Amino acid sequence: MPRRTYNIAMVCDFFYPQPGGVESHIYQLATKLIDRGHKVIVITHSYEDRQGIRYLTNGVKVFHVPFAVIYRSSSFPTVFSFFPLFRNIIIRERIEIVHGHATMSTLCQEAILHGRTMGLRTVFTDHSLVGFADTGSILTNKLLKFTLSDVDHVICVSHTCKENTVLRAALDPLMVSVIPNALVSDDFKPLPRPEPSSLPFVQHPLPAHPLGPNDTVTIVVVSRLFYNKGTDLLTAAIPRILENHPNTRFIIAGSGPKAIDLQQMIEQNVLQDKVEMLGPVRHENVREIMVRGHIYLHPSLTEAFGTVIVEAASCGLYVVCTAVGGIPEVLPSHMTVFAKPEENDLVAATGRAIAALRANKVRTERFHEQVKTMYSWTNVAKRTERVYRGISGDIGEDEFYGTDIGNASHWSATRGRNLALIDRLKRYYGCGVWAGKLFCLCVVIDYLIFVFCEWWWPKDQIDIARDWPRKPPVSSDDEE
Amino acid sequence: MAHMPPAARDGPHPGLTLTRSATAPIESSSPRSARSHLAPEDAFVSTSTSPLISQQPTQRRGSHAAIVHDSGNELRPRQTRSKLGSRSRSRRRRRNWKKLLWVKQSYPDNYTDQATFLENLQRNPRLQPYEFWPLVADISVILQQVCSVTIFVVSFVGIFQERVSPVSVVGWGSFATFVGWLVWDNWVGQEDEDEVLQRRRSNRSRAVTEQSSRRGRPQSSVIGLSASATGSVTSLAATERAYPQAAMGRSSSTSALSFQQSTSQAGSTVRLAIETSDEPKHRALSPLPGGRTGLRLGTIKSAVLIYSTLLGLSPILKSLTRSTSSDSIWAMSFWLLTINIFFYDYSGGVGVKFPASLSTNAALMASTVLASRLPSTGQVFSLTLFSIEVFGLFPVFRRYARHQSWKYHVALSVMLVMGAGAGMGMILGGEKDGVSLWRSGLLGVLLAALAAIVAIGGCSWWLISLQKYKNAINGPWDQARPIIISRRLWDDD
Repeated sequence: MPRRTYNIAMVCDFFYPQPGGVESHIYQLATKLIDRGHKVIVITHSYEDRQGIRYLTNGVKVFHVPFAVIYRSSSFPTVFSFFPLFRNIIIRERIEIVHGHATMSTLCQEAILHGRTMGLRTVFTDHSLVGFADTGSILTNKLLKFTLSDVDHVICVSHTCKENTVLRAALDPLMVSVIPNALVSDDFKPLPRPEPSSLPFVQHPLPAHPLGPNDTVTIVVVSRLFYNKGTDLLTAAIPRILENHPNTRFIIAGSGPKAIDLQQMIEQNVLQDKVEMLGPVRHENVREIMVRGHIYLHPSLTEAFGTVIVEAASCGLYVVCTAVGGIPEVLPSHMTVFAKPEENDLVAATGRAIAALRANKVRTERFHEQVKTMYSWTNVAKRTERVYRGISGDIGEDEFYGTDIGNASHWSATRGRNLALIDRLKRYYGCGVWAGKLFCLCVVIDYLIFVFCEWWWPKDQIDIARDWPRKPPVSSDDEE
Repeated sequence: MAHMPPAARDGPHPGLTLTRSATAPIESSSPRSARSHLAPEDAFVSTSTSPLISQQPTQRRGSHAAIVHDSGNELRPRQTRSKLGSRSRSRRRRRNWKKLLWVKQSYPDNYTDQATFLENLQRNPRLQPYEFWPLVADISVILQQVCSVTIFVVSFVGIFQERVSPVSVVGWGSFATFVGWLVWDNWVGQEDEDEVLQRRRSNRSRAVTEQSSRRGRPQSSVIGLSASATGSVTSLAATERAYPQAAMGRSSSTSALSFQQSTSQAGSTVRLAIETSDEPKHRALSPLPGGRTGLRLGTIKSAVLIYSTLLGLSPILKSLTRSTSSDSIWAMSFWLLTINIFFYDYSGGVGVKFPASLSTNAALMASTVLASRLPSTGQVFSLTLFSIEVFGLFPVFRRYARHQSWKYHVALSVMLVMGAGAGMGMILGGEKDGVSLWRSGLLGVLLAALAAIVAIGGCSWWLISLQKYKNAINGPWDQARPIIISRRLWDDD
């Protein structure tokens, strides 16, 4: 049976040329979806001189929409001003599914709203964890609830992230899929190991890292040096780790406001010859830094997924990390040592990791192959495609959401099948006493703008863009 | 979660029932035993299930499993046919679902496991329900400050309307301050003796933090003394800034200008003392008890200094705002005194070095602009000195009184309420003849007492009744709080 392919628009404020996790996620997912025969465009705001339309590798068409950037490359939230342009792009490219990324991206939130107004299917991918305590979180959560009141499906990068998103936006848990991030494992290969035949005498099995008791263990840290990345813990732990384990070195890559604390710690304890600070590094150079070490230390305080620890494990490093957020779900226990986010426990866990490496108990040389089977973008694309099929009705609703919830009638309203304005308004109205009315007002205005656009720029007068030559769709169930 | 979509509100859906019951505000007023308190390790260890949540699904699961059982047979052939298209929610599987991302699971991505979903959710983990009487006691601190401000305003109005002689105001104020100083000195002396005894008894007590902050104080005063001789105040701006410092100067007998320096040194001493070394404590104790006389002398010296500075500045202050209309001054001083009340450091203990400088500065600025409305130098001087006593020194005394005994605190509160009430009554009510003045004063006392009781009781009760709306949600998605023991140089957050 020929499988249906979709025209998908990924919308996010964060995209190349800016580096980052969300950016590479969107790009990788887009290319892999194109490999599966879909058509993917990316809509983002303009970055300095980069405006207009660009094509990336594999035919990813990127629209850099001119919008003012206000804070950390989020565009200014105007709610409606994006609509005419958005509608034009959607019609030109014959988009069927709008896929927004990242909570903090206003462009994404607006696109989901307009997409629903235009009668499209919408998906939202959440990449971050947000608490419930402070004012900023409360506002963010309210905004997210507005957007997600009327979305077809949500994708989260970890189960913890799913719990968080379900709570924040009051969603049906079955509307939320967990599809982790992945990595390009070929970019994170460990150092080539000498062929057993070239060694003077053959050991069976070859030890993981033939570490003698006096060899130096190198601990790598690659992280932005911010408070929420646990740099304070790192600063407190490094002198103690070095005191307990004299044959240890640190390599720290990354920059941020907490770098000065690390510098102070190094100078105060005279550790210049044991701790090397590399400053900011580009993502493509991370592998070269990682393969210099034996242990990767990740002291973060909050993390939705933690791609970097997967990258480290893929490079053959033993991972020491704090068990926060989604991190405990990411790697199997034989690759990681978990610590509480406490100074003492971090020191102890690093000590255990060093001891295990010295005893040659950890087969780090196998990590790369194992990680390769765990995470791949192809798999992510396949799972995302199932979401697309589910929301487009190509998988039956029973099959997609499950049948055994006979009492699910109350959820069918929230699952966003129905695009009628009155049903959408019902969903928005439930958002809160005041917020609900405000949101309804926004939706009604959005709808009026849509009607106006339909009249002013009729659909049949908009040119249809020519597609990049499509790849033949892969049949649905074959394993890669 | 307070506002779910109405459709979600009353559904027996298992997954949401779980969240809903876990976040329903009604239950938060139930006894504390039902609530699991958060231990530090709960923030990241996923093993413990809170009793509240683990109970709910089990009883739900019974009915839920029955539904699944029926559809189980139909499901079987489908599973083999399509892996991705298999139904969610079915519990009849070969392998259990795991909350892991690296495992290839035979469940669809939107599968929600009833047993583990939101199992680490915690509602109000650190909630400490308020109790009535402690709350009343805490509110009385605010009451004291409000009453102090009222008394100051009353004094100003009295002086301004020439009902009260400024000399009597400042005379009684200074007398009270002197008595207060003696009492305070006595308390501090006792405390230090107690500390010496305590140190002898247990050399390594774990309650180092609070006491060492107190111990740091005498040493700082010694440092301050050396520099105090050079201190002289020349400009108005400097004086205004110096007032709160002078207020503290009473407690640590430093002159105004040297205080900044000594505070920072005291701060570092405290920090040293918190860290493990014993050495600073010995040094800190060394000026006792022989140094006490020196401290007293220093206090007197700085008092004389402030006194003469004020005397010199009064003529300048008198004409400070001559070109400004009185309306602006009233409005400005109202806002400044409001700032004083709102930003006052109500929680500060006795060891606080620089309590609420914004608040104190605002009050002193208010007194300065108010004083500039007064016609004669003597009045200006009296009011400014009185304001220093009320806003700079009196809070220190109140803190110590509360620290010393609740009896003193209560007595002080009652006196303040009565004083403020009487003053208000006299200012608002009476003509100048004696009888009606006393009558209106008495009426004011009664009204003030009534208002204080109603306000304190009402506010406490209100706050307690608002507690049932408290609904803090915590879980593994929250940013962890790092526990860092060896803070060496950095003491942010």
